[in-house]
Amino acid sequence: MKRIVALLMALLRDWSRSRETVFFVVLFPIILLVIFSTVFASSAPSFGLVVQNEDVGPDGEPTNLSATFVENLESIDPLEVKHIDADRNLTEWSQGSDGSGRRVLVLPDGFAEDVRAQSARVRIAIIRDTVARFQDDMNDSERANVQRGLEQAEQEVATNVTGATLQFYAPPDDQSAAVVRGILSTVLAEFNQRSIGVEEPPVSLESGTIGSAGLTATDYYLPAFIATLVLINGVMTVPGVIAGFHQDGTLKRLVATPLRKRDWILANVLQQSLLALVLTGVMLVVAAILFGVNAIPGPLSIALVLLGAIAFSALGMTLGSLLPNPDAATSLGGSIAFPMMFLSGVFWEIDIMPETLQTIGRLMPLYQFHRGLRRLLIVGTTDGVWPAFAMLGGMALVFVGLAIRLTRWRDFDE
Amino acid sequence: MMTGRIAEGEPVIEVSDLRKTYDETVAVDGVSFDIRAEEVFALVGPNGAGKTTTVEILECLRTPSGGSATVLGRDVSTESRAIKADIGVVPQSFHTFDRLTVRENVALIRRMYEEGLAVDTVLEELDLAEWAGTPFRSLSGGLQRRTGMAMALVGDPAVLFLDEPTTGLDPDARRTTWEQIERLAERGTSVVLTTHYMEEVERLADRAALLLEGSIEAIDTVPNLIDRYGGSIKVVVRNDGGVTGGGSSDDSAMREILDDAATEVYRTETDDLVGLFEDRERAQETYSRLHDQGDGRAIDLISAGMEDVFLRLAGATPDARGKLE
Repeated sequence: MKRIVALLMALLRDWSRSRETVFFVVLFPIILLVIFSTVFASSAPSFGLVVQNEDVGPDGEPTNLSATFVENLESIDPLEVKHIDADRNLTEWSQGSDGSGRRVLVLPDGFAEDVRAQSARVRIAIIRDTVARFQDDMNDSERANVQRGLEQAEQEVATNVTGATLQFYAPPDDQSAAVVRGILSTVLAEFNQRSIGVEEPPVSLESGTIGSAGLTATDYYLPAFIATLVLINGVMTVPGVIAGFHQDGTLKRLVATPLRKRDWILANVLQQSLLALVLTGVMLVVAAILFGVNAIPGPLSIALVLLGAIAFSALGMTLGSLLPNPDAATSLGGSIAFPMMFLSGVFWEIDIMPETLQTIGRLMPLYQFHRGLRRLLIVGTTDGVWPAFAMLGGMALVFVGLAIRLTRWRDFDE
Repeated sequence: MMTGRIAEGEPVIEVSDLRKTYDETVAVDGVSFDIRAEEVFALVGPNGAGKTTTVEILECLRTPSGGSATVLGRDVSTESRAIKADIGVVPQSFHTFDRLTVRENVALIRRMYEEGLAVDTVLEELDLAEWAGTPFRSLSGGLQRRTGMAMALVGDPAVLFLDEPTTGLDPDARRTTWEQIERLAERGTSVVLTTHYMEEVERLADRAALLLEGSIEAIDTVPNLIDRYGGSIKVVVRNDGGVTGGGSSDDSAMREILDDAATEVYRTETDDLVGLFEDRERAQETYSRLHDQGDGRAIDLISAGMEDVFLRLAGATPDARGKLE
């Protein structure tokens, strides 16, 4: 035990005297936290939308109906509506330096006429349907009169009308296009209802929050940051450091003493665990001071952070023992850490990914780790956290064992 | 099982038919030797001769492919931890925690041993006390090597392994290192030294083994090696250019003495008179006679050295980097 403590103290001292390491392990996470929290904690998001209204009258002014539709769009908070002239070539405009990357909604020429005609046809269809339901209560003469009136109305409506079609264009890399499309669909649905005379829809939606009322974006992202940084530190930094000790001869000097291999592994894993706790503490304090996050870690959340640090740093020790070249070891760690970060849904909901990737993502230890931490630290519940303990505990056992088995204690360069 | 210190002259290391191969390459090819308590033993050879591989097997840092080796009576293959508790090692490419101070690095290694010396005692003994608070990475190469020596000694080892301890050091640092090794030898520590510096072998080693291509070409005490393989002893009567009244042409008396005793006499390009002797005592006697006969000219007795031994056995001498010239 005294050897582990001595090594642990030496590793911590050596670490604490490296300005670069302190920056990347302490300051860098704080900078990330501040940037992400500021971005996500800002007021409601805003989505730009450029409208080209081609539906203009002979005087060159937009028709009343198209102007009303555009006013409806402008009244939607998340949308920031701008306009381009009806006669502007859209392809040329989108290739211009100021037009590149914008979302565009085109109201075609004849929009108002098509809407009116289609809404009349829909109204007639509704009346026909209503009459059919109540025809048993009518006499023959009443039925004939209604029939005649409907046929007359139908003749007045153009027969080839299919309704107006708006065109929505977005760049292929626009990640918010789906959100804007959803907003437009909602506006259109309401517009369609009103155009056929439905002022009070039969069904409406009211929304609110449950369970975690009053939580901010930082509350939700904080566990993701902690879990991700513990992962990066363990899987990317540790292999490079261990391979570096191997390459420069520091490890060989230690191996020439009675130090046991398992003591070396445990001292390094303990060092990473302590660093993970310090990192977590720093981030919680910064989040509390700057963003008012009230997340006081309990014994279970501390245990989970420790377990995560042990699991990931043991994986890092294993990788570092496989590749004695620091650059290669760090790259190998990166090739594991980055896909895990993207697949585990730490920075976005896993539900937006294809089903196969969702299944893979849910099997990732980072997924369980950050979900468990979120529940313990932020939501304040132990429900659903045990899979995280089981997965990280199993991983810690396997990789500590593998690191002890695979780390060379003789024949370094063979 | 033997433990701790061993009486002077008893073997602390026994190596028998030791072999080490890497795929097709044979690094150590059936080496056998022993090293006795309280002696300084040198493994001499050019780069790639198998010196480091051999000592790393003895330090339990490398697994032998065949043969056997014991250190302090313990098998290097199966009792490595017990061996490591009683040896000190300064590896060839030595490094330690960069940002830790000299004292912290030495103290760390001290904690790896159950018993050992006080850190400050070791630092003082190696003249490192004034550097104790300096980070390792701020030290010169010589001081870094000395720190390595302190780390090797702090466990109070019975056997000390020094792998190329002065390679890359300036002459001052090299002399300091030699003095420290001499002090250790006087204190009774058995020292195993690998080197390609023949001067180092002559100054420090009691016995030496010459390794070439993984095999021992010769092993004996250093004087015996020189006697057997070093070649002739030279007695040189220097040409003084007539300053002492004799002049180069007036050395007939000297020449007569040399002709009587030496196996061969010749004159150099600078007109020095040289007599070659196979027998050290005869050379010494002749040297004394020449002095008695002397007219003030300088007379030198030049013994053969390990350089000559190396030249004779390896066909060339190693350069400063250990490559054969």
